[in-house]
Amino acid sequence: MEWDWAFVIEILPTMIEGVKITILATLLGSVLAAIIGLGLAILRRSKNAFVSKPVGFLADFIRGTPLLVQLYFIFYVLPDAGITLSPLVAGVIGLGLHYGTYTAEVYRGGIDNVARGQWEAARACNLSAFQTWTRIILPQALPPMIPALANYFIAMFKETPLLSAITVLELMNQARSIANYNYRYIEPITLVGAFFLVISLVSVIALRWLERRYGRIEER
Amino acid sequence: MLNLKTMSASIGAIALSALALSVPAKADEALDKLKAQGFARIAIANEPPFTAVKPDGTVSGAGPDVARAVFKKLGVADVVASISEYGAMIPGLQAGRHDVVTAGLFMKPERCRAVAYSEPILCDAEAFLVKKGNPKGFKSYKDIAVDAKATIGAPGGGTEERLALEAGVPRDRVIVVPDGQSGIKMLQDGRIDVYSLPVLSINDLVKKANDPNVEVFAPVVNAPVYCDGAAFRKDQTTLRDEFDKVLAEMKKSGEFEKIVEPYGFSAKAAMSTTREKLCAG
Repeated sequence: MEWDWAFVIEILPTMIEGVKITILATLLGSVLAAIIGLGLAILRRSKNAFVSKPVGFLADFIRGTPLLVQLYFIFYVLPDAGITLSPLVAGVIGLGLHYGTYTAEVYRGGIDNVARGQWEAARACNLSAFQTWTRIILPQALPPMIPALANYFIAMFKETPLLSAITVLELMNQARSIANYNYRYIEPITLVGAFFLVISLVSVIALRWLERRYGRIEER
Repeated sequence: MLNLKTMSASIGAIALSALALSVPAKADEALDKLKAQGFARIAIANEPPFTAVKPDGTVSGAGPDVARAVFKKLGVADVVASISEYGAMIPGLQAGRHDVVTAGLFMKPERCRAVAYSEPILCDAEAFLVKKGNPKGFKSYKDIAVDAKATIGAPGGGTEERLALEAGVPRDRVIVVPDGQSGIKMLQDGRIDVYSLPVLSINDLVKKANDPNVEVFAPVVNAPVYCDGAAFRKDQTTLRDEFDKVLAEMKKSGEFEKIVEPYGFSAKAAMSTTREKLCAG
């Protein structure tokens, strides 16, 4: 097996097509996970046990089963119930749901960290539940969570090759189809590794910056 | 930490043994090695009737059955199969993960350059699986290329994927389908318009799925009839020649026919052509 630069240049445009899909899936998945996580965290705090218990069970259920199984379920089983999603949409929903249950824990930690007095003060000022959340609690809870959330989004990015199992033509699937066509694995798979490494490293630098910016709120 | 250490150690060991295996060995040595180890490692795809794994784990299908019979006569007691993607078979063979590929990997010039094929074993034409009545009227890969919205499903690295791409279907409309069940499911769900496999594979799949809403179109217009052979590493032509010798005897004695015909393959088709003709394209 020898490394062939001409082959690398030949396959590079196709690989970049794959990188685009990978990044798109990660970004959409992150937005979805951020929203789902917040929803889960707030519902789980509900005083009504008929809301908090089922939501808690659902979150534990999703977190306790493998993402790959969930993807298969969304892609291959849901059509039986009349819901046929495109591969990318199914993949984004899978990533968003799965990581939403993790980010929900981050939100919970952040919300619990807001001092009790703040809740009491909000009630004393006669604020509604909606006002309490949007004006008092979340503005204090969110900034310290940002680094932890970003950490999960980097983890999600590295899970996107799983989407190749449901025929999304992302980076890994492009590499496999190139390898299948040319009987060469060394260049395409090495490139997959290189792309992931470069993007992860850049993300980690951004994460460090976020940590410095938002991480230690008390010290500011 | 300890776990990590033992893991990386075992990964290292696997990498080392893979390296050791890829060192070119002389072919008669290769046969001796297979005899000593008592089995040959074959690559299959689990695509009946070419290759099949029964629920109890036993390997059958026309390809492995022929290979098992030939190897038995060569003094190798059994075959051990590992399931692989079509495109991964030749790299896997070259990397020393398999001793031979017997999976309905059709002979094509570029594959002939990469491996040493035996004489033809299993022959089949290409087929389309479409919705009942073939609503879009697809008869050839070209028809799919012309329709800007049509999508075709095919196994990754299989002959059908290549035929579709060569007919001008753009990459994003050739969906790589992991296995037959997923393929038929995706057709039923309307994710793909056509699922393409060899005729006998499609027939087997349709029989099992028993769905009145799909139908088979075969043979595909302008797609040639292909034959596969047992694929060996390029440097093991002596082993290949031994295999060929036994295969030729079995073809002559009628034993070959007895193995492949129950699966629906035509022994005559395999016997009426040669590796040389098929590899020339």
